[in-house]
Amino acid sequence: MLKLQNISKHFTGKVVLEDINLDIQAGEIVSLLGPSGSGKTTLLNIILGLTQMDHGKIFFDGTDISKLSMKKRGFNIVFQDYALFPNLNAYENIVYGLRNKKGSITKQELQEYIDFLELNPHLTKRIGELSGGQKQRVALARTLVMKPKILLLDEPLSALDGVIKESIKDRIKSIAREFQLTTIIVTHDPEEALTLSDKILIINQGTISQFGTPQEIISQPNNDFVEEFILNQLHIKRNNIYKLFGEKYA
Amino acid sequence: MPKVKPEMRAILVIIFLLFIVFLLLPLAVLLVRSFETSHGFGLVNYQSMFSNKDLFEAIQNSIRVSTMTAIITTILSFTLAYTINCTNLNRSIKAVIKTGILVPMLLPTITYGFAIMYSFGQQGLLTKLFGRPLFEIYGFNGLLIGYMIYTLPASYLLMNNSFQYIDKKMTIVSKLMGDRAIKSFINTSVRPLVGTIGGAFVLSFIMSFTDFGIPASLGGTYNVVATQLYQVMLGALPNFNHGAVIAVLMLVPAMIGVILLNYLEKFNFHYDKMSQIEQIPHKYRDIGMGIISSIVVLCMLSVFVVMFMAPFVNSYPYNLTFTFHHFIDVFQSSDLTRVFKNSIWIAVLTAFFGTFIAYGAAMLNVRSAMKKQTKLLIDILSMITNTVPGMVLGLSYLLFFNESSLKGTFTIIVLCNIVHLFTTPYLMAKNALAKMNPVWETTGELMGDSWIKTVYRVILPNSASTVMEMLSYYFINSMVTISGIIFLVTAETSLVASKIKDLQHFQKYNEIFVLSLLIFISNLFIKLLSDFFQKNRSKHRDKRWLNKKISQREEVL
Repeated sequence: MLKLQNISKHFTGKVVLEDINLDIQAGEIVSLLGPSGSGKTTLLNIILGLTQMDHGKIFFDGTDISKLSMKKRGFNIVFQDYALFPNLNAYENIVYGLRNKKGSITKQELQEYIDFLELNPHLTKRIGELSGGQKQRVALARTLVMKPKILLLDEPLSALDGVIKESIKDRIKSIAREFQLTTIIVTHDPEEALTLSDKILIINQGTISQFGTPQEIISQPNNDFVEEFILNQLHIKRNNIYKLFGEKYA
Repeated sequence: MPKVKPEMRAILVIIFLLFIVFLLLPLAVLLVRSFETSHGFGLVNYQSMFSNKDLFEAIQNSIRVSTMTAIITTILSFTLAYTINCTNLNRSIKAVIKTGILVPMLLPTITYGFAIMYSFGQQGLLTKLFGRPLFEIYGFNGLLIGYMIYTLPASYLLMNNSFQYIDKKMTIVSKLMGDRAIKSFINTSVRPLVGTIGGAFVLSFIMSFTDFGIPASLGGTYNVVATQLYQVMLGALPNFNHGAVIAVLMLVPAMIGVILLNYLEKFNFHYDKMSQIEQIPHKYRDIGMGIISSIVVLCMLSVFVVMFMAPFVNSYPYNLTFTFHHFIDVFQSSDLTRVFKNSIWIAVLTAFFGTFIAYGAAMLNVRSAMKKQTKLLIDILSMITNTVPGMVLGLSYLLFFNESSLKGTFTIIVLCNIVHLFTTPYLMAKNALAKMNPVWETTGELMGDSWIKTVYRVILPNSASTVMEMLSYYFINSMVTISGIIFLVTAETSLVASKIKDLQHFQKYNEIFVLSLLIFISNLFIKLLSDFFQKNRSKHRDKRWLNKKISQREEVL
C-alpha cells in the first residue's frame, strides 16, 4: 500500500539515508527504530512530504506521490511536542482543521473521536492546563478528525511519564485497529518499538539493518548492530526486572 | 521550518525596498554630498569644516560633556541595577524605583531642558528651595544634567537585563569560599558585567553625542555638534554640503560605538544555567543601597515636578494661584491642538506600520527557510538603523527627497520614524518568535491552512503581548523623538516636539509645559495599557500552571 523505492537523502555532503526500500501494508503499525542521527526522523519527514528526497520514489496505493506536496498527500502527523496552539482551548484545537475542510466529518463522527480518546471533560481547558497525556490525546484527536490516509507519530511516548506511557501505547494500538489506519511511528526505544508495532524497521547510519516482526527480530537478528544495540538493551532490562521480582515471575 | 512561500517573498521585497529607498540611498547621497563642491568632488568641504574654529570647539565640547555624562550615568545605573537585583530591599520600594527611573522615557528631551530651567534657573523651584542658584545651568552643567536624565533609563535597562543573566548562586559560593566582601563583589557582580558596564558607557556617550533636544533648550552659547548641524542646515545661510560633512562626523562615532557595543558583549559571562535564589541577608547593604537609589531617582524626578506645577498656576513663579486657563488656552488654540493631533496621528501610523514591518522581518528571519545570507542581510540592515543617529537620518532624507513629492508630508516623517526606531521592536519580535514552537506552521498547513492563515490564526494570537509591546515602543518613541524629525517637519506637518522648539523662541513656557504634559499623559496611557495587557497574560499563565498540576495529579490517580 505504501511503497518506498530506493530513497536517498544527503545533507551538505553527508549521507543521511541511502537506498531505502520498504513495503507497508494497510492497517499496519510500523516503527522506525534507530539511535539518534540514524536518519529515522528524516525518513518520516520524507514520507510526510516535509523534506525533499534526493533520489527514489514513493507510491501510495499504486500511484506515484513522490512529487505531490505535503498538503496533497493527505497524510498527517502528531509531532513529538504535539505543537498544540496555546491560544485555543482543547476543543478549538481539535476542530482547527475542520474549518478548512467543511463537511468532511459529521458532528456525530467528531463526538465519536472525542469519546474514543476520553476527552469530554477536558474540552474547554486551555492547552497550558492539560497534562502531557491529555495533550497527546488532543493532538491525536486533532490529527484523526482530518481523516489522514496514513498517521505518522514522531516519538509519541518520549515526553510522557511511566504509567501514562503504557495507556497511550494501548490507545495507539486500538486507533490503528478501530479506524483501520496505517500508522508509522518513530522511536529510539527498542522496548517501545517491539511491544507497540506489527513490524519494525531498524535503521542504522542511513541504511536498513533489519525489517521484520518483533518475533523475527528477537529470534533472528540480522547483524551485530541489531544484536548489540537492540537486543542487548532488552536483555539488560529483562535481567534488571527479574532481579527485582525474582525468577519466579519470568 | 516552513518552505519559502510567495507571500514571504512579497514581504521580503517590501522590506528590502523600504531599506534601500529609505536608508541606504539617502545615506549614500549624504556621503556624496559631503564630498561635493562647486567644481567637482573633493575633500574641500572637510578641509574647510576642520579649519572652522566653531565646529572644532563644538566637537570638543560634545566629547567632553558626553564623556562626563557617560561616566556618571554608568556608575548610577550600575548602582540602581545592583539595588534592584542583588539586595533584599522591600519589594514595593523596588517597584517604585523601577517605575520612577523610566519616567523620563515618556517625555521628549527638549522638555527636560525647560524642566531644568524652571528648577535650577534664577527663579527655579529648586533654586528657591535652596535659597540660591546652585550653578549656572546654560552650558556644560545644564547639558550634563539633561543628558544624565536622558541616558540613565536606557543605561539602567541595559544593566538590569544583564544582571538578570548573572547566576546569583555565585555570590553564595564566593561567600562559602571565604571571600571578603569587596572581593566577592568584584568577582560575582563587577567582573561578569564588565562587557555591560563598557556597553552602558558607550551607549550613554552615543546618546548624548547625538541628542538635539537638550542642547536646543539648554546649550546657550556652549556649542555642541548637534546644534552646529542645526545651525548650518537651518540657519541664516544654509549650506547643505557642510551639513552633510557634520552629519558624517556625527555618524562616524555612532558607528564606532555600535561596533564597540557588539564587541563588548563578548566580555559578558554566559552562565549555562540560571538559578533564582535568595540573596544572603545583609541589612546594612539593603538599607544603604535603598537610600542611595531612592535619592538618585528622587533627584531625577524632582526636576520634573515643576512641569506638573507651572501649567496649573497663573504665572509661575510670581502668581501661584491655581488655574486651568493655560490648558483651556491650548485647547482653544487651533494651532496647538492641530500640532497635538498631528503627533498622535504620526505615532499611531508609525506604531501600526512599523510593527508590521518589524514583525514581518523577524518572521522571515526566525520562522522561514530563507537563505542564510538573506537572513544575515536583514540583521545587518537592522544594525545599520541602530547606528544612524536620528538627526543624520533626517538630514539624509532632506537631501535625498528634497525634489520629490514626499517632501513635507506625514508619510516621510512616519517612514523616518519606522526606520530610525526599527532595531528594538525587531529584536523583540525575533526573540518572541524564536521561542515559539517551530512546527506550528507545518501543523497549520497539514490542517489545510495557507501560511498567512496560520500566521493570523496561531502565530499572531500567541505573540499578542509582544506585538502590544512593539506597538507601544513605536508609539512612545515617535511621540518623543525630536532629533529624527527636526529637518523633516513643515508648518503643516509640525509635531509637538518640534513645536516646543518654536514656542521657546516666543518664550511661551506655559504652552510648552502643557504640550509636554499632553505627550506625557498619552504615553503613560499607552504604557499602562501595554503593561496591563502583559500582566493579564502572565496572571492567566500562573492560573493555568496551577490547573495543569491538578490535572497531572488526577491523571496519575
